Amino acid sequence: MSLSVAARMARRELRGGLKGFRIFLACLALGVAAIAGVGSVRSAIQAGLTDQGAVLLGGDAKARFTYRFANEEERDWLASISTEISEVTDFRSMVTVGEGDQADRALTQVKTVDDAYPLNGQLTLEPSIPLDQALAGNGAVMAPILADRLGLSPGDTFRLGSKEYTLTAKLLVEPDGMAEGFGLGPRTLLRTEAIEGSGLLSEGTLFEAEYRLLLPPDTDLDALKETALDRYRDSGIRWRDARSGAPGVERFVTRLGSFLVLVGLSGLAVGGVGISAAVRSYLSRKTSVIATLKTLGAGRSTIFQTYFIQIGVLSILGIAIGLVLGAGVPLVFAPWITAALPIPALFTIYPAPMIEAAIYGILTALLFTLWPLARAEDVRAATLFRDALDNTNWLPAKRYLIATILLLGALVGTAVAFSGNAWLTLWTTGGIFSALVLLVVAAMIVRWIARFSASAARGRPVLRWALGAIGGTKEGAASVVLSLGLGLSVLAAVGQIDGNLRNAIARDLPDIAPSYFFVDIQKDQMDGFMTRLNNDDAVSRVDSAPMLRAVVTHINGTPATEVAGNHWVVRGDRGLTYAAQPDERTIVTKGEWWPADYTGDPQMSFAAEEAEEIGLNLGDTVTVNVLGRDITATVTSFREVDFSTAGIGFVMTMNPASLQGAPHTFISTVYAEEASEAAILRDLANAYPNITAIRVRDAIDRVSELLTAIGTATRWGAAATLLTGFLVLIGAAAAGEQARTYEAAVLKTLGASRSRILRSFALRSALLGAAAGIVAIGAGILGGWAVSKFIMETGFTVIWPSVFGVVGGGILATLVAGMAFAWRPLAARPAQILRSRE
Amino acid sequence: MPEPVLSLTDVTLKLRGNAGLVEILHDITLDVQKGETLGLVGPSGSGKSSLLMIMGGLEQASSGRVLSLGQDLTAMNEDGLARFRRDHMGVVFQSFHLIPTMTALENVATPLELAGHKDAFDRAQAELEAVGLAARADHYPAQMSGGEQQRVALARASAPRPQILLADEPTGNLDGSNGSAIMDLLFGLRDRHGATLVLVTHANDLAARCDRVIRLNDGQIDTTAQAAE
Repeated sequence: MSLSVAARMARRELRGGLKGFRIFLACLALGVAAIAGVGSVRSAIQAGLTDQGAVLLGGDAKARFTYRFANEEERDWLASISTEISEVTDFRSMVTVGEGDQADRALTQVKTVDDAYPLNGQLTLEPSIPLDQALAGNGAVMAPILADRLGLSPGDTFRLGSKEYTLTAKLLVEPDGMAEGFGLGPRTLLRTEAIEGSGLLSEGTLFEAEYRLLLPPDTDLDALKETALDRYRDSGIRWRDARSGAPGVERFVTRLGSFLVLVGLSGLAVGGVGISAAVRSYLSRKTSVIATLKTLGAGRSTIFQTYFIQIGVLSILGIAIGLVLGAGVPLVFAPWITAALPIPALFTIYPAPMIEAAIYGILTALLFTLWPLARAEDVRAATLFRDALDNTNWLPAKRYLIATILLLGALVGTAVAFSGNAWLTLWTTGGIFSALVLLVVAAMIVRWIARFSASAARGRPVLRWALGAIGGTKEGAASVVLSLGLGLSVLAAVGQIDGNLRNAIARDLPDIAPSYFFVDIQKDQMDGFMTRLNNDDAVSRVDSAPMLRAVVTHINGTPATEVAGNHWVVRGDRGLTYAAQPDERTIVTKGEWWPADYTGDPQMSFAAEEAEEIGLNLGDTVTVNVLGRDITATVTSFREVDFSTAGIGFVMTMNPASLQGAPHTFISTVYAEEASEAAILRDLANAYPNITAIRVRDAIDRVSELLTAIGTATRWGAAATLLTGFLVLIGAAAAGEQARTYEAAVLKTLGASRSRILRSFALRSALLGAAAGIVAIGAGILGGWAVSKFIMETGFTVIWPSVFGVVGGGILATLVAGMAFAWRPLAARPAQILRSRE
Repeated sequence: MPEPVLSLTDVTLKLRGNAGLVEILHDITLDVQKGETLGLVGPSGSGKSSLLMIMGGLEQASSGRVLSLGQDLTAMNEDGLARFRRDHMGVVFQSFHLIPTMTALENVATPLELAGHKDAFDRAQAELEAVGLAARADHYPAQMSGGEQQRVALARASAPRPQILLADEPTGNLDGSNGSAIMDLLFGLRDRHGATLVLVTHANDLAARCDRVIRLNDGQIDTTAQAAE
């Protein structure tokens, strides 16, 4: 009964149209649109990766071996399950152009292929010639960025190892190039048989051999994978099929997408502040209506339902607008997004992100409108005769408090469920909630400071009016600090984290990191290699170690992934070394190192931090697969390994007798003055063409590029939050226009000129913007420091340009919003305004 | 004959309302002499407050001339009018019109600050003492009663020692005892500082305290009534 009456009354009140709800709708629509948009792009990429899985993978399925080709038995089995098979090798090498001192060198990721390549997809070459023609004889194709860097054009020659090749074309599109994710060197592609005589791929060289397979139709991919792993898991096989053609990319996109959705949630939270303010403002205008309804006999529940229905209808409208925008904008921009992405994407309307965004929108609207709605039912009929609204309790009834807690739980639970990453979600939502609480407290402090410093500004009326206005109203400081604070805080934190990380890798790391990593040094080359470096005064330090690659297959006899989950140490293959004794820099934290002449059962020293994460104890056994052979070693010691210096750091070190028999090469890090780096590379590359040198500064540049991309994506997310905050600010400025008009009228009556009033308005906007910026900087620096210290484990310094940018941005945003609504108060005639108040 | 403090000649005020252009005042001509107390009376909507607003430069006359202390208010722009009020006028309203974000002391000090007085707050404190509100100096308008707010408004209007005091139904929102107290204060201030007072009122007893009373009817001066008064 009550509900139908409420619905009728709600319908009548909605005849008033959307006036006063524009900011409400914009906040909700923008927040929902941002989440739906990010989700749509993520779904489009995921669908693209799935759709193009076989092309990205290079076949329907792929078997991969590290350090070795498949043996005859393995090849026979692979041939037996497939309709076509293609063998591909992948390794790093150096491209050399020119001779002697004039030679130019660059790191490249070499792929050698057979006649069957590619099984799926098409390579695009420039000039457009068939691949067979391009790779005939010693022909090779190369990524344009590498060819351009070395000044190579089709027809020019270059060397890999000690053999000369001819560049026949530039490789514009390599459909299976993204499958391995992040690589340090651009691609060079040639026939496998052309590698013979180059000195590359000799025994112990680090390379991957891949067998891409075309499978018969209706092959059960799950069953096939299980069979492959059952048969060859212990031989070090790694298996992948087209359902997940580029898992690294997919994982990255999913994680970044989840993170951006969470950043989008912060935008929705800021929008919630605007939504709440709009509902409060609407209901305060309706106070006399509510009091009249109560006088006429309407109960509390009827009042609540009447306005709940109205706000509900408006929320649905706002969410619908957001969904249309979130689905539509990516579709409209699909051609440009597709062109800009290095990975495939299929743009269409995906229901899942729409549902996700709608649920977030509904929960946020409920959460932020419940309290104002609850207060509406507290309005007493006596309000008609005197202002009784302020006598209502600050806290709503208990049932609304319980509902608020349940809604908050539902919102966090939904976010956890959708993101699939509980920790990230809990940290982010916890961060948003803490930031909102912090901002509310900060707004109270700002108001308190303004109120008490107003007396210090006596004699400077423009400043005193501004401070009086900030300190004298409940809404002013809170609306600005809350609406701008969260977006600016995210931006400030990103600025501090990004800046410090960039400092750590680009400024600090080169000071402590080696100049070069040299890999694939043959054992018989080590003496000559060391002689060249030891005779160079510019070289301050050389670290060398034997290096093998191994897959951790079992821990204490149980498959490693069951013990360690998805820990990076058990994912893929890892470096492995041996040493008779720890060097002088090694710190053994627990256990005993084996005797120098130890030849007994295999023993292992494990990195202490990683061992703790996995849950390893002294005496546990770790089984590693090296070149298809399982070696089980007992963990006898833990030691500190510092990966942050980019020096040599092996998670696992074994006693020499366990590994010496296996073919392997050496790795070496060279610490030298920057000026002598070119000469070192020239001499060593000339003497040992098979050796690959990785210049650490180049690697750092690549990592920096990746970080820039992630930072940019996060900044876009923060920008959406800021835009919502700006809308809230506009709403607050619009709501305060009437008060400012009245204030201006009184001040004019007392003799204030318009320019003085304008300066006071501008000053209060600027002060509030600066306050929001300073609060955000405080939160950003705190967040940045915590992330740098506890997660990144780097030093922390305040990044001042970011600080000034954030404070300046805060001032600019509030000035724009404030000044946009300053003209009417300034232009209004005092007599009209004051008379209307009589 | 000394020059009048306020001199209005053929003043007309037309305002645009929902029903179109409405003539509020019609050909008003009057002089107010220095130190005089003038009461403006008349029924609601007769144009009393509008006439007071025009005298204060808060409303621009549609036609005619308004001279105040020899200066033509109709020739001044908005900022010029604001400066003129700052230096020569004090205005008291029925609804007090205190700035809600300022304390009583700050409200009173504002016109003094605008005039550049270094001792603005000391003078404001003295004005509050004069109206019996020294103890309420740090209170905000919302924390005071209507009578107290009007006393603050009086203190604010008289603080710069204006030559002209304009009061628009200053007791209209107050009960009898508070209204009497405010009027005593208003006339006391006028007597102490020798200002010219123009007062809009509905109260006959208040009008009786004025040197001269002008009755308005339908935006015109009721000359019959004026003669009778």
